[in-house]
Formats: sequence, C-alpha cells, structure tokens
Amino acid sequence: MLDLDMTPYAAFVWPAWGVSALVLAALTARAVVASRKWKRELARLEADPTPEAADTNRPQVARSAIGPKERPQAAQGAVGPKE
Amino acid sequence: MFGLSNPQRFMAFTGPLTPVLWGLAALLLGVGAWLSFSVPADYQQGDTVRIMFVHVPAAVWGLGAYAALGVSSFFALVFRHALADAAARAAALPGAAFTALALFTGSLWGQPMWGTWWVWDARLTSVLVLFLFYLGYMALRASIDDEQKAGRAAAVLGLVGLINLPIVKFSVDWWNTLHQPASFLTPGSSGLDPVYLAPFLTMLAAYGALFAALWLTAIRTEIRRRRVMTLRARQAQEA
Repeated sequence: MLDLDMTPYAAFVWPAWGVSALVLAALTARAVVASRKWKRELARLEADPTPEAADTNRPQVARSAIGPKERPQAAQGAVGPKE
Repeated sequence: MFGLSNPQRFMAFTGPLTPVLWGLAALLLGVGAWLSFSVPADYQQGDTVRIMFVHVPAAVWGLGAYAALGVSSFFALVFRHALADAAARAAALPGAAFTALALFTGSLWGQPMWGTWWVWDARLTSVLVLFLFYLGYMALRASIDDEQKAGRAAAVLGLVGLINLPIVKFSVDWWNTLHQPASFLTPGSSGLDPVYLAPFLTMLAAYGALFAALWLTAIRTEIRRRRVMTLRARQAQEA
C-alpha cells in the first residue's frame, strides 16, 4: 500500500524525488536526442559520400583539421610571379 | 574484454545490450519508486528516510562514474586509445548530474535531520570537490579546440581526480563528521533495517542500470560523432 502523505516532511521529500526525476529524465532525453542526431547524420553521409554532402557551414572541426584551403599549383603557375 | 576496444566490435556488442539496459533501468526505477513509498516511515527520521532511496544511489553512482572516467582516462593517456577517450568523456555528464543530485538531496535530508542545509565536514566537502572535478573536466575539454589535446589535458585532470575517491569513501572514518559512517557494507554495524533493504537495493540497481545505459549510449554517440567528423573532413578535402 502506497503511503504518499509525507507530513510534516513533504517540503523535503517531494523536492528530493521531483528534482531527481527531472534530472534523470533530462539526462535520458539528452542522450536519446544526441544519439538520434548523430545516427541520422552518419547515415546521411554514408548514403551520399560525395563532397557536396559535406555541409561546409557546420564542420568547423573538419575545416580546422585540414587547414585553410590552398590555391592549386597549376592555377598559381598560370598567373605567374609578379615582377 | 580487450576485443571490445575495437569500435566496430564495441558497436556490434553494445547495439543489442543498450536497449536492454534502458528497459531494465525503467523497470527498476518504477518498482523501486513503488517500494520506496510502500515501506513504513522510520521511527526516528519519519518520512525523510525516503530521501535515502534517491540520495545514496546518486552518491554511489556519482563515485562509480568518476571511477569509470578515471580508468578510461588512464587507458586514453597511456595507450592513446580513442575509445577509452570517448568512454571518459561519456562518463562525465551523467557522473556530474548524479553527484549534483547527491549534494542536493543530501541537503534536503540534512535540514530536517541535522538542522542545517550544509556543513563543511569531510564527507560533504569531498563530494563537492568531486563535483568540481567533473565540472573542471568538462570545462577543460570544451575550452581546447584541438580534440586530441583536449582529451589528453582532460585525461590528466581525470587521473588526478581519482585521488579524491578514497577520500570521499573513507572521509567518515578518517575524520569526525556530521555525516553518518558507512552502515550498509560495514561488518558488525547495525546496518539498514531489513524493511528498507528491498527499496534501497532496487533503487541502487536502477541507478546503476541507468548509468550503464546513459554511458553506453553516450559512447556510441561519440563514436558516431567522430565518424561523422572524419567523413566531413574527408569530403571537405575532396571538394
């Protein structure tokens, strides 16, 4: 039989249980949302492995990993050195 | 065991295990909550004894999560293992949340029983230091752009924080504290009244299953995130 009458300690028992439930629910929701987000993104990239699939607005890590974009050697040669 | 250090094998092994852990955690939390409000009030503490069923499991798994973080940090630092680094990172947030819950619910239990929300005794202070180690770990990781450097710096901090775990555990034996000494696993102590054992152990198992589910899910997410970053980098290079 449940005993839900916490008198005179209701102001201590219910916040302890309530905040615990909220935090555990928030942790669960965050884990599930993040899991779905990266699962979906990985599936998208693996399904379409063309360079156009890379969203260049988002992958700051990717850009920092490969450094600034360099001009192709052929193009530099075509312009020639300035005198 | 070491075979699981391969990310592909880890994903294959934990794929079917993770939903089982989520289900187990939900079931145990439901049963544990029901049992916690079914037992009679304590003859001395009244209904505040029910705070124990959320306070102690949060504290135990807050410590357990840090042990997982520390051991993973060791493997990440010594063997430069990416999965160990992901495991350390994944343990930080649930561990910090559990420790924060232990501090918050302990404060709510302390006020009616001790007459104070907080006291700077050894147990409470060392648990606060544990929480600060979690915050420091997460802040350090977030503050360095290079993920490898961030992982190594955070792993060093994670290892240093391991020193605090025995201090938390034995603080009630080494110093005079307002916090009660260990009573459940201490031989010869009066221990917990048998009527409270079922809800206590169920909630302890529930928090453990929930931490395992959160941890495994976060490691799996981290593996996928790193794979996405690698693919994006490769595609950006090709473009």
